[in-house]
Amino acid sequence: MREKLEQFRAYLFLIPGLFFLMLFTYLPILWSSWLSFNRWNLLSPKPKFAGWENFIELWHHDVFWLIMKNTFFFVSISIFPTMFLALVFAIMIDERLKGRVYYIYSFFYPTLIPMAAAAMLWVYIYSPNLGILNILLAKLGLPKLGWLGSSATSLWALIIMTFWKNLGFFMLIYLAGLQNVNRELYEAAYIDGAGWWRRHISITFPLVGPTSLFVLVTAIILTFRVFDQIHLMTEGGPGNSSNVIVYYIFENGFKFFDWGRATSLTTILVCILLTLTLIIFGIFGKRITYTAD
Amino acid sequence: MEEKKYEVVIKIFVLQLAAIIMILPFVWLVSTALKNPSEVFTENLTLLPETFRWANFVEIMDQAPFWLYMGNTIIVCVGILIIQLFLVIPAAYAFARLDFPGKDVMFLLFVIQIMLPLESIIIPNYLITKKLGLLNTRTGLILPFVASGFGTFMLRQTFKQIPQSLEDAALMDGAGHLRFIWHVLIPLSRPTIVTFSMISIATHWNDYFWPLIITDTDEVRTLTIGLGMFVQQESGSDWSLLMAATLFVCAPIIAFFLATQKTFIKNFLTSGIKG
Repeated sequence: MREKLEQFRAYLFLIPGLFFLMLFTYLPILWSSWLSFNRWNLLSPKPKFAGWENFIELWHHDVFWLIMKNTFFFVSISIFPTMFLALVFAIMIDERLKGRVYYIYSFFYPTLIPMAAAAMLWVYIYSPNLGILNILLAKLGLPKLGWLGSSATSLWALIIMTFWKNLGFFMLIYLAGLQNVNRELYEAAYIDGAGWWRRHISITFPLVGPTSLFVLVTAIILTFRVFDQIHLMTEGGPGNSSNVIVYYIFENGFKFFDWGRATSLTTILVCILLTLTLIIFGIFGKRITYTAD
Repeated sequence: MEEKKYEVVIKIFVLQLAAIIMILPFVWLVSTALKNPSEVFTENLTLLPETFRWANFVEIMDQAPFWLYMGNTIIVCVGILIIQLFLVIPAAYAFARLDFPGKDVMFLLFVIQIMLPLESIIIPNYLITKKLGLLNTRTGLILPFVASGFGTFMLRQTFKQIPQSLEDAALMDGAGHLRFIWHVLIPLSRPTIVTFSMISIATHWNDYFWPLIITDTDEVRTLTIGLGMFVQQESGSDWSLLMAATLFVCAPIIAFFLATQKTFIKNFLTSGIKG
């Protein structure tokens, strides 16, 4: 009887959260998976079942492959160098430094700025004639760059500003993780004559494994969903050179009104994200439950 | 433990250099926002404006209702946070301290949601919000974000660490579960709840994609969308006004975090996020 009461109470506590979780996460996924097998665009204004047609069309569409390439390029280049530097800076700041808060905030404040505002600021920084970067390049006697306006540099320009935006956030998470590292370990290494790099490569890097996992997951979420800066800075251009999957979904849905294709792309994105989740939790799952409990 | 002298010098140098590079864009933003428009149209780099032109801020207010946008943003952020806490705390409590069939599966549903942000399923969410008749409303800006898998996960970790004996004692004294949550669990988990709240506010202050899709009129638009609109209207002609508007959009959130920096940093470093 007591047990039944407790179960009843648990469900009562969970129902509100589950309701909204279903309404805005799982129902949308199911609905959009169904729609992705339908033709639904300006020529066919009501969804009509079409089997795999949307996916087959995408498969034969060059732009789709360019966008997948851009997405994976953007994600991997944005994640790993940022994580590495975030860890290095976190270690430096962690070592009982004077002015710790000053350093933390000078790295962390870009995370707080809305991406829309950061994007505007960087449009100005990258502006071809009045932007600080090209003025500095000219002062150094180097050729000016097209930055956002050139298909060779547009994606890189977005990567650089995203690096600036995320570095401090990852660093702060690492800093939190470092609080658990036992300082006595360093003393021993220090007595053994290990230098700064040596101490951290052999002690800190292995110990922050679980934190790195958390940072990795956060980074994957942040970079796969990238949209704001692309919408405000390049609109995916020039010539789709900086277009990525979420922006492409937006274009198909709200510019070309091809809802069938937009939902197929959504299905593909959801599959990629779920696969990554499975891989990450499959490989590291044991470790997570170990540190979590 | 003493570090070698040259190591400390190198470290401070590297950190200082990196910090300056990180801050430079913001200094540039503030300085341009206060410059005379004519001063911006030169290739001379000046960090300080010749004259501080506060009128830039008056001018942006004449051109777009930024105070209205800010009001909307505050309503949306606070609305999301309050509903989130009402959903997340009971759910986290159930996952941390109660036993019931289907617990693992349900917990998995919450955790997987962390990997599936709204931005990735924007099209079906738009269709559902449209069906619910919530397009172009503040409610429509709030509801899709209220179920937070991240918050549930974070609070569950914290709730688990609170000793069972405390709960037994409270129940023995005749307190119900709700009273235990309110009087014991929440006060003891304050650092995590504060950290989660601050992350939530910062995240939703920054939301751009969702409001872009579902808002049509100034009455419901938030700051980030207002800024985007302002840019289109100005079409990049006047950088000092654009930067003034940009500064107006980020100043409140930065001020909020600077004002609460001690609590935030201390809480963030000691609570919740530990992998």
